[in-house]
Amino acid sequence: MSTSDSHTLHRSETLYRSQKLGMKYLIAAVALFGVMIVFGFLSALYYLFPGMFFNVFDFNMSKTLHIDTLVIWILMGLIGSIYWYLPKELGREVVGIRAAEWFFWIFCAAVAVVALIFLFVQTGKANMWTLWFIQQGRKYVEAPRWAALGIVGVMLVFSYNVIGTAIKANKVTGIVWVLMIDLIPLVGVYLFAFDSDTNMSNDLYWWWWLVHMWVESTWEILIGIIMAWVLMDVMGTPRKIVEAWLYIEVMLVLGAGILGLGHHYFWIGTPDYWLSIGGFFSALEPLPLLGMVVHAVYDAGMHKMKTRNRPAYIWITTEAFLNFIGAGIWGFMMTLPQINLFSHGTQWTVSHGHFAFYGAYVCGIIAVLYVVKQKVSGMELLAHRRWYWGYGLLNLGMIGMVSALLLSGMAQAFFERATGGSTLMAFVIASEDPWFTAGLWARAGFGIIFAAGYVALVYDLLASVKQVPLPTDQRRPSVVRSAEPEVA
Amino acid sequence: MTPVLFLLTAILLGLFMLCGGAWALLYCLGQTRGSKMIMRAGLASYALAVILALTIALATPLQLKWKVLIMVSGLAYAFIPPITLRYLERLHAAWEPHA
Repeated sequence: MSTSDSHTLHRSETLYRSQKLGMKYLIAAVALFGVMIVFGFLSALYYLFPGMFFNVFDFNMSKTLHIDTLVIWILMGLIGSIYWYLPKELGREVVGIRAAEWFFWIFCAAVAVVALIFLFVQTGKANMWTLWFIQQGRKYVEAPRWAALGIVGVMLVFSYNVIGTAIKANKVTGIVWVLMIDLIPLVGVYLFAFDSDTNMSNDLYWWWWLVHMWVESTWEILIGIIMAWVLMDVMGTPRKIVEAWLYIEVMLVLGAGILGLGHHYFWIGTPDYWLSIGGFFSALEPLPLLGMVVHAVYDAGMHKMKTRNRPAYIWITTEAFLNFIGAGIWGFMMTLPQINLFSHGTQWTVSHGHFAFYGAYVCGIIAVLYVVKQKVSGMELLAHRRWYWGYGLLNLGMIGMVSALLLSGMAQAFFERATGGSTLMAFVIASEDPWFTAGLWARAGFGIIFAAGYVALVYDLLASVKQVPLPTDQRRPSVVRSAEPEVA
Repeated sequence: MTPVLFLLTAILLGLFMLCGGAWALLYCLGQTRGSKMIMRAGLASYALAVILALTIALATPLQLKWKVLIMVSGLAYAFIPPITLRYLERLHAAWEPHA
């Protein structure tokens, strides 16, 4: 065996079928990430040219496609990451893999059909036909009922895969316990996508269970699980450490996150006590994020930035920081009811939403993409330089976009809400305010940089990398040792 | 609440959280690298967070309960980084022999 060969893994090393399925999910996720960017940029242009495609393809459908593809690609990324790591964790092929493979293709076909419906049919009469075959008309879960049922099917099969594999393997690690428990709310709260109440307050009350509990609780735990696996993989962090940290994270996320739901209940007609509950628990939500920053810095210092997969390592470290800034700082600015009264529903909220999603989920899923790239390309050390382009452009684009949106949002909240009293005239005045429009132009500009970052990321993921010799001090079997699961 | 005070309060809240984050980051960095200068910068960030909390409590029209919450959070920030770091050190010492 040559020296070069000794530092690479064998490409022919067999992947589990589940890992191949995980790759398919991740590829689909990256493709939808691109679609999301296209419709995001289109939506940004509508703010600058409001008459664009009038009555042909209106803003509301562009925004729907932007947000729905976001939800689906993140979900596919999370599911794909778990299919990638699960057989490694439990030491065997996933149970029911054939059904999982079938449902992947059904999922993709359903997404494509729904996208075509949204592009060419868009809306229908207010009847059950529309609800079942065109769209449900509920924000973020607009997909027609048949497609929503398909998503339930995918998640049930996914749950069966996880639980069935753990039973068949006759071992459940701490991480898999957390995953299995998290499957209950993952499937359970999605069922609120089907509810529809003619009372707007009641309807929104339950709808927020789906939106908030997925994004700020259930998904947070899923990404925590995935990050635990990535840390073991790329840093060789011992299992006991990542599991202990995962339990703490789960406790804090659920402790503050569940009742943090209250910040969505401020202005939808719920009782007054939600102002106090929502404000209090939302203010606590940044605390675990503060702990994550400490952990990221400690890990970086401990390992002296040495890793066998530099892109994945840097992306997960970035996740800790941007999650704190996007969800923590941006959220804290506007979460107390007295501030939120003026800021909710403005570009300020849009800024917070973009930053929080990017920090919490996008960075983590990109880290997994690099883990997969390393395995598939057979590199033992992934430390090329080309990935900096995607990293730099994506982060610059996102930070620029959210800063520009914050500027617009503050102008909107100030002129339209606080000064103008939310009248129609105040809306018109705020919409023409130079601070507001400058922010929207800047957002579109940084959107182009973000799109360029996406292209650079995809190119880097697809292109081959040169073999780099593994530094002597990293030639230790810690990764293999720590990745071995223990039976609980 | 006047429009100017609304905007000012929101910015103060954001800066308060930013300083809390900077304190956590610099404290941990200072401790792991054994750098007194970074530690001093961390303490300065924390001091700034406390000043911002006091400003929010004294100069903004937020309700009393939110002012109390901010002050208590400001106090909690003092302990979160050292406690987290100590816990991490113990955890790594127990499970990672070369730590």
